[in-house]
Order: sequence, then C-alpha cells, then structure tokens
Amino acid sequence: MAALSSTHCRSYSPLQSSSFGPSSSSSSSSSSSNLGHFQRVSVSSVPKRFLAAKVYSLQSQTKSVARMQDGAVASTITPIENETPFKKLKDGLLSVPSPDECKDAVGFGINENDSTVSITVVGASGDLAKKKIFPALFALYYEDCLPKHFTVCGYARSKMTDAELRNMVSKTLTCRIDKRENCSEKMEQFLRRCFYHSGQYDSQENFAELDKKLKEHEGGRVSNRLFYLSIPPNIFIDAVRCASSSASSGNGWTRVIVEKPFGRDSESSAALTKGLKQYLKEDQIFRIDHYLGKELVENLSVLRFSNLIFEPLWSRQYIRNVQLIFSEDFGTEGRGGYFDNYGIIRDIMQNHLLQILALFAMETPVSLDAEDIRNEKVKVLRSMRPLQLENVVTGQYKSHTKGGVTYPAYTDDKTVPKDSLTPTFAAAALFIDNARWDGVPFLMKAGKALHTKRAEIRVQFRHVPGNLYNRNFGTDLDRATNELVIRVQPDEAIYLKINNKVPGLGMRLDRSNLNLHYAARYSKEIPDAYERLLLDAVEGERRLFIRSDELDAAWSLFTPLLKELEEKKIIPEYYPHGSRGPVGAHYLAARYKVRWGDVGVDQ
Amino acid sequence: MARHLNPCSSSSYSSSTTFTPSSFKNGTHLSSRFIIVPRKPHSSSWVSLIHPRIRARNHFQLKSSNGHPLNAVSLQDGTAGSPLAKKHIEPRGKKGSLPFSELDNVESHLSITIVGASGDLAKKKIFPALFALYYEDCLPKNFIVFGYARTKMTDEELRNMISRTLTCRIDKRENCEDKMDHFLKRCFYHSGLYDSEEHFVELNSKLKEREAGKLSNRLFYLSIPPNIFVDVARCASLGASSENGWTRVIVEKPFGRDSKSSGELTRCLKQYLAEDQIFRIDHYLGKELVENLSVLRFANLIFEPLWSRNCIRNVQLIFSEDFGTEGRGGYFDSYGIIRDIMQNHLLQILALFAMESPVSLDAEDIRNEKVKVLRSMRPLQLEDVVVGQYKGHSKGGKSYPAYTDDPTVPNDSLTPTFAAAALFINNARWDGVPFLMKAGKAIHTKRAEIRVQFRHVPGNLYKRNFGTDLDKATNELVLRVQPDEAIYLKINNKVPGLGMRLDRSDLNLLYRARYPREIPDAYERLLLDAIEGERRLFIRSDELDAAWALFTPLLNELEEKKIVPELYPHGSRGPVGAHYLAAKHNVRWGDLSGEDS
Repeated sequence: MAALSSTHCRSYSPLQSSSFGPSSSSSSSSSSSNLGHFQRVSVSSVPKRFLAAKVYSLQSQTKSVARMQDGAVASTITPIENETPFKKLKDGLLSVPSPDECKDAVGFGINENDSTVSITVVGASGDLAKKKIFPALFALYYEDCLPKHFTVCGYARSKMTDAELRNMVSKTLTCRIDKRENCSEKMEQFLRRCFYHSGQYDSQENFAELDKKLKEHEGGRVSNRLFYLSIPPNIFIDAVRCASSSASSGNGWTRVIVEKPFGRDSESSAALTKGLKQYLKEDQIFRIDHYLGKELVENLSVLRFSNLIFEPLWSRQYIRNVQLIFSEDFGTEGRGGYFDNYGIIRDIMQNHLLQILALFAMETPVSLDAEDIRNEKVKVLRSMRPLQLENVVTGQYKSHTKGGVTYPAYTDDKTVPKDSLTPTFAAAALFIDNARWDGVPFLMKAGKALHTKRAEIRVQFRHVPGNLYNRNFGTDLDRATNELVIRVQPDEAIYLKINNKVPGLGMRLDRSNLNLHYAARYSKEIPDAYERLLLDAVEGERRLFIRSDELDAAWSLFTPLLKELEEKKIIPEYYPHGSRGPVGAHYLAARYKVRWGDVGVDQ
Repeated sequence: MARHLNPCSSSSYSSSTTFTPSSFKNGTHLSSRFIIVPRKPHSSSWVSLIHPRIRARNHFQLKSSNGHPLNAVSLQDGTAGSPLAKKHIEPRGKKGSLPFSELDNVESHLSITIVGASGDLAKKKIFPALFALYYEDCLPKNFIVFGYARTKMTDEELRNMISRTLTCRIDKRENCEDKMDHFLKRCFYHSGLYDSEEHFVELNSKLKEREAGKLSNRLFYLSIPPNIFVDVARCASLGASSENGWTRVIVEKPFGRDSKSSGELTRCLKQYLAEDQIFRIDHYLGKELVENLSVLRFANLIFEPLWSRNCIRNVQLIFSEDFGTEGRGGYFDSYGIIRDIMQNHLLQILALFAMESPVSLDAEDIRNEKVKVLRSMRPLQLEDVVVGQYKGHSKGGKSYPAYTDDPTVPNDSLTPTFAAAALFINNARWDGVPFLMKAGKAIHTKRAEIRVQFRHVPGNLYKRNFGTDLDKATNELVLRVQPDEAIYLKINNKVPGLGMRLDRSDLNLLYRARYPREIPDAYERLLLDAIEGERRLFIRSDELDAAWALFTPLLNELEEKKIVPELYPHGSRGPVGAHYLAAKHNVRWGDLSGEDS
C-alpha cells in the first residue's frame, strides 16, 4: 500500500465556522449543534482544502437548515469531489496529498488570504512553553499546517525583547527529523513571526496593549486568536478575564487553551469552570489533555470502529479486565512543589487515564464529531461508580541505593514537606455499571520513580470456555488468555497475544504476539501530542478536548475518594525508588482475580 | 512462556492397535483401555507388566475400531475414553523427549518397510524424515528401516543412496555424522516383486531375524503407483504382517480418481486391512500452520466468536507452484490439478477450518467433525469452477514451455493445471459463505495459504476514510502455510501523523523471527504419528468418500463435456477467469490485491 507516504496535515477535519466572539453567539448549545452538523458534512476522505471554497459558501447559507439536509448537502459535495483533479483521492485509503496541497490546507477562513491567526502563549517564559508549545508550533509550521498568515506572540511578566524571545525559542527548535531540507531557513521564517509582549497576567491594560500589537500584525484581515494559558491555575481566571475583555478578536474567533490542573476536586473545578464561563463560551474553552493527542490513543477508536474483528469482543462477554498503566522512571527531582499539592491521582489518573478509559469503553458514537464522541464519553463517566477507598492502593517512593547510587525518597525533595502523605503511586479498580461493562474491572496504575517508563492499555480477555487445549496449559490458566496491548509510549506498538503451537513434532503451546511495531511499520516520526492538539485548536476540532460536563463527571468519581484519603490521612505504602511499585497493587488486582499484565514474566 | 521445544510429540494420544486384521473384529481389546491409568511415573512400569509393549498408549484402541460401525465407538467415547485420555497426556509431556522409555520398549521392535524404496518420494522425503526423527530421538530404541523394491540392490547400495539425501535439519548440530552412521546401520534392503506373496514372506523372515523375538510392530509405507496398492497390501498383509504387534500401512495419494475407483480401492484394501491399519497420508495436514489452525481457533478466545457467517465473508485456500510438470506430466495428466491438490489437500484444510468444535482432540472426534463438514457441502457445480492450463511464455529472452510441450503429456490434453472453485457449506455456521479454492502449476509464485476475509464493519464510522472501495478496508486473517510460515491479521490502522488517514497494517507473527528452530517437515510429523498410532492427521475412509462425492460429478462433467481450459502464460498469475469467479460471489482474491505478496 502506498500509505506510507505522508500527509502532514489533516486529510479530514471539520470545516469550522465559529466565527463569533464571546458576545456574538446567543446560545452556545445551538451553535455547537450547528457545528456538529457541519463537521459531519465535511468529515470526508476528501481533504477539506479541496472543498473549502465551495462548501464554505454553502455553509453560510444553509446553516440553519443544514441538520435536516445532511443527505442533500453531502451529496452536493460528491460531484465536487469528482471534479477535483485529484482523482487518486477516490482510492480512499491511498489519498496522499503532497506537501504542496498541505500548504493551503488550513482553510479556516472564508477567504484564506484575508484571515489570520494570532497565537498568544501566555506564560511564554515557562517550561512547558519552551519545551512543548513553541517546538510544536514550529513543527506545524514546518509541515505547512499553519495558515498562511499567522503570528506567535509570547506574553509574560519578564521584560524581554522580541529578539530575546526568538533566541530563547530557537534554542529548543528542532526539525523532527534532523536532516530534512530547509530546516534552518524554515526556522528563520518562523522566528520572524514570533513576537513578545511583556505584561501582568491580571492587567486589562497590558492585554489591551497586546491587542493593539496583534492588530498591527493582523493588518486588517479577519482576525482569529488563540490564547494558550501556560500559567499557574490560580491566575487562569485573571488572564482569561483580561484576554477576553481586552484582546478578543473583533471579527474572528477567540479560543483559549487551558492546561491541567482543572481544579483539585469537584468544587474547585466547578468554580474554575464557572469563572471561565463568565468570560468565555463553552466552545471557546479548549481544555487540553495531552494524552488524548497521543497517536495510539487516537488510534484506539480507529482500531475498534474500523475493524470488524474487535468490536464483537468489546464487552464483558469477552473482556475480563482492562488495565491502564502509566509509569515514570524518575521522581519529582526538586520540582515537587506543585506535585505535592495534587498527588498522582489528580495528576495522572483523574485526567489522562480516566480519559483513555472513557474513550475505550464508550458506546459507538453517532459520528466522529467532537460532540458525539464527548457525549458518549460523558455517558461512560456517568455510568461509573465513584471510587471506593478499598479499591485504591496508594504509594510513595522511598530512597533506594543500587550499585552505589542512591536514589532519593519523595520526601527528600526539598520542595516537599517532610511529612507529606501525597501519593506518588496509585492503583485503583474502577467499574462501569452499564450493560456492556458490568463487572469488568478497569484497573489503573500510575506511579513515579518506578523501574520503567511507559504508558499502555492492556485488554485481557477471558478464558476460552471449554478449551480443548486445557491440558496443554498446565494449571495456570491465566497465562493462556489473550491480551491486546496498546503501547502508547515509548516505542509505540500494538500487539495481540495469542496462543500458538510451538513449531515442532509435539503439541506444545505458547503465547506469541501478533505484532504491529510502529517503528518498523511507519518510517515517519510520530508527531508530538501537542502538535496535534494545537492544530486541532486552530482548526476548531474539539474531539480531543475536555468538555465541562466531562470534567465534572470525572471529578465526581474521584472527589469522594480524594477527600477520604486526605481526611483519614491514609499513609501511602512505601516502595523503593526504581522498583515496580508497592505490592499492594498486586493484592488489589488479585481481589478481582486478575493480574497486572505489565509485571508478568512475559510482557 | 517456555520456548524450549520438546522434540517429540507430547500430544499424541496414541493408540495401540495390537491386533492383526484377523483379530480386529473381536472386541477383546476393549478391556485393555481400562488398564492404563499412568498418572504417576511409577504406574507406567505397572502397565508395562501387563502390556509390555507400549506404555500408556493402549487405552485409545477403542477409537481405532472405526472400521467397526462408528456408533458403537462414539457412544463410549464420551464416557470412558476422553477423561482417561486427558490424564495420560500429562506425564508424557513432562517426561520429555523420550516417549519410548527403556522400561516399556525393551521388548518391542519397530520395523518400517518402505515399499518402493528406489522411488523419488522415498529418497526425497521418507528416508530424510525417518532420519530426522531418529536424530531427534523420536523413534523407539529398537527399530529398523527396510527398503523394498524391484531393483536389485545390496544393503550397502541402499545406504549409499539414502545417505546422499540425509541432512541434519540445522547443519551445525552436533553428532550429525555419528547419528547418520548409526541410522544407516539400521537400514536394509530387500528386493522383490510387488505382487509376490513369496517375496514378502522372505521379507518377513528377514524382519523376524532383526526383531529377534521381540514384540514386533510393522509399518509399511506404500510409496508406489496406485495400480499396485492392492497387490502390495495383499502380499504384505498375508506374507509379512506382525504376529504379535501391530501392522500399519501408510498409503499416499492418489486414492482413486473418482468416487467409484476410490470406493473400489478402499474396498480392496479392506479385504486385507482393517480401517485402523490404513493410514491415508495427506501431507498438507502435517504442515505446521495447518496443525496450528485448530490451536489458533480453539485455544484463543478472540477468534472463535468471529468464526462464522456473521463475521466471515469468505475463506480462500490458495495453492500455487512456480514450476510446471517439467517432463514428469505422465502421472499428472491422468489426474489434473483438481484431483491432485483440491480434492485432497485444500478440501482437507477447508474441513479442518470449518468444522464445529470437536468433543476432544482425539482423532475420531476430529475426523467425525470433518466428515460432517464434507457432508454438509454442496457438490461442486460447473459454473462455480474455472479451469486453466499453462501455455508457453517467453520472458527476458527465456522461454518457458507450455504444459502440452511436456513430452509425457498428450498434445491435445485438456487436463487442467489450474483450477479455481467456489464451494459452499450448507450448515448453520457457514450458509452463504463462499469458500474459494485456487490451485495452479506454473504460476508466478510458490505458496500455500489460508485467507479469511471478514465482513465490512457495519455502519463504519470511518467509512469516509476508505473511499469507495470498502473491500480494501476489511480485516483479513492470513495463515501462510508455505513458504516462510507466518500468521498475520490485517487491520485498519491510523497512519501516524496529524491527519486522520487509515491504512491496512498487519498484526504479524513471522515464524522465522519468533521461533528460531527449523520447522519439521510434514512427513516427519506424519510418520511419527503413524508409528504412535495417532490418526488425527490421516484420512478416514468415510472422509475420503465424502470428499469424492463432492468432486466426482464435476470431474465427470468436465471430462464428458471436454471443457477446454483457459490458457494462461507460464509464470503468470493464472487465468483471469478466477477473478470473475470471485467477482460472481462478490469477493476478491486476497493474494492478488496488489498490496501483499
């Protein structure tokens, strides 16, 4: 298949209207349903850039009636598709837009030449901005995925010149694959579009100055503005207030990307949402969960919904348990101040792992539109039992000396209180009380300072009923079940453990893997999650962002447990830095008669 | 999991068949199966006291009486046979690589007689397979190999002839030379006519000499033309049967050329042999991946739910050779590809693929299920068959001959060297699912594979990503039997990157990468099974009858109507008619889709 050749940017992606500022849309629900509709029309194998012009004109006229005309609208599109010179698109799978096609890919304005996007990174001097956001923006630029007119503006309190910012940014820029052509040229061009504005996060005046600067760069074009809040949560609202009231786009859209933490429990999260909504509509808020931007998490739905062989297995009838595993092989390393206030459950489980769980377990959505998918995810979250203390094991790493090297304990971190009970490890069993998943444990495990770094999804299937080959397995039937493993990082892979006959004259069975190793199959480097998510935000694709009601539902599952842990001052089980985590996790799994797939003899 | 291989069968639920044809019809042996319960190691010695020859194997002999009405057998299967069966396997597996432990076998002796020892098959397959078994310590302690043919030859000459083809599977393994010498020392030759009882009596006395009074078990491998099968069976049975052990006869295809001749052959063989003495070999059933087919299906939860018309759109059984008859078309011309490959190899794989879950893995249970599949099938219709014959072709200055250029083939031969067929199983599981078979000589590639094409995803959310050709987006499970054994499952996957583009990727299991050891040849497995009395991979008479019943009307029609085969160039992908046949059933050949080879 020709699929290896790359398309850098979207070959689908909803046409996005949303050209209203905070004041222009009377009801966000109606606007989002319209959005949903248009996305459905336009999500097609035909890259939207071929459709953009015609569909957009169509869109503005039929907006109000569009929902009923789905079929009609769609079919008017078909001829357009056929008229395109890109006949090869009809091969569907093989559609391979060249980089040139990608150039004008991001048609999110009615007329490209007249629209512009200004991306403001609020908190530009921070770590995340330097390490992730600017590099991701550059990668998108390098891949020709950003619109023709765009500017990147850093905003922070430090005094800095544009040149200083560019200097800072340039230090972290790399072309994904080093030896690609024009890299330094592209870098130059990118840096020329980067500017800096110094200001207070709570000063409307300073944001008004920013607005002025942005307007200059926009040069009278339709202005779309994206704010990336890479700042501590306590100043989220201030920044949003100022940005919204003083630096919103006058004639285009204004969107705000917010990073976790989204509160620390139901109440604080709700307060944050309420605060944000004073200044922003739901569809302007892009709550980022970068795990949802990971390639294999994206692929989870593809795997399930575009292959016949998986969906029949996707229920309690065949799946015995699902495991969501996250581990880091390092501790807080002097930066435990923020972490200590949150702990691993808030930092990893309540968001990243729970989001993956919801995506994994949801019913088939009506379509791939953001609202349809998020509707299904909320349903999963709302069908779940709140976590019980007895279904949770917490741990904290202690120091450990190995080979002459001493690894510090969590409480050795200077930014962490000596008597901190904050868990750096947690394992939990969750249950979804719906028809599909009743009784199937969803095991989560997340930890810092473990022996390995990984993130994976493991689906363990049930035993074969009345297995003819029982006698070939010995007594441990658990070793003979099938398992589907989706390794999110590092070294992306999908593999399915099957029982297979060991070649030879006897009849001995073992577990072998049906393998898909990304590094071997796909020669291209996999884009960073932030690239995908930033592009989505620019394009108004909300599928991978967390809606307010999702967030509420997620917190309501974890808040009672978190309260109880803190009130009862539950002492975490200590585990050595660099170990496999507390043994309590095994007992938790054993309680539900399952085993962790990642710490078995064969993984 | 453990990857160390046990070189010998740990699975064979072998049976004994300690009776000669004459003893077959009485039921006395029934009792012996209750004797053996060798759950603990020590019990085997206890067993051997009673029944000195074979340890732990005898209790299956009830099964072997399928020459007897099956109903009598199967009634007892469920009650006594299978629970015992399950138990006795374990000790054998654990004991490791010597199924014939000293205690049990001192007194028994195995004589393997290759009738037609100077033939090609014997040289290329049988002797090497026997040596491989010997090398792996899978043969009993006392055994000899006898070559029998018309040619005059000394033992030494036979040994010379054999030694040229012997190789240690993996060249650099130790003691290879030693082992070869030891093996050759056990090889002997006896010259005689195939239809002379006298000569077989001479053989008998030679065998007796070597057996030196031990319990004698005799295996005859008939590697001879079919027209003398019955003669040899008669002479061997009357003149050289074992008196106190078992006598088994391995027969190679062709088993007749239609229902009538096959029925006749079976009838004649049965004059001299009981059903459980006849081992009809189909070496495809000994292939590693064909063996693995049942494992894949019955030892994994994830496949069985998919294994029906609900999820499977069609199944393809594909065989091709990249060479023609090359001067040896004489035999082939009177059979043709349908008889040579389809009616036996491919149909057997089909039956194994499609059968219901058997009661156990015992030979009779599996073969019962296979017969049920065959009997549920519609006989082939002419309109569901495409036949072809290769014609000459010049490529790069080199010219490849046509089938009829073969001097051993009549110039006006209509014998198909290629055939494609659509078969249907009219049962609840498979109603409406086409089973496509394709077999050909002088095709561009050499391969044998099973392809399971799944249905479309109903209401596929991603269908816009697939364009108009939804056939390119279905899942497919491929078992590549040869060459380069592999299992892979084609899945739709997101191409990594910022867009949402899907492609088909493979979930792969390449045997070469996963299992470093060489895979034994099918003949090794089958010979060992015959020695151990494991009949699972051999074809029972009723299976054979059912198989012929499906193909005979078609074959007759082809010949009566003198259907002219579609000519295809030597080295091509076969006649295009095969595509139209598939298209008629709304499917595509998986091997010609251009995306994999």
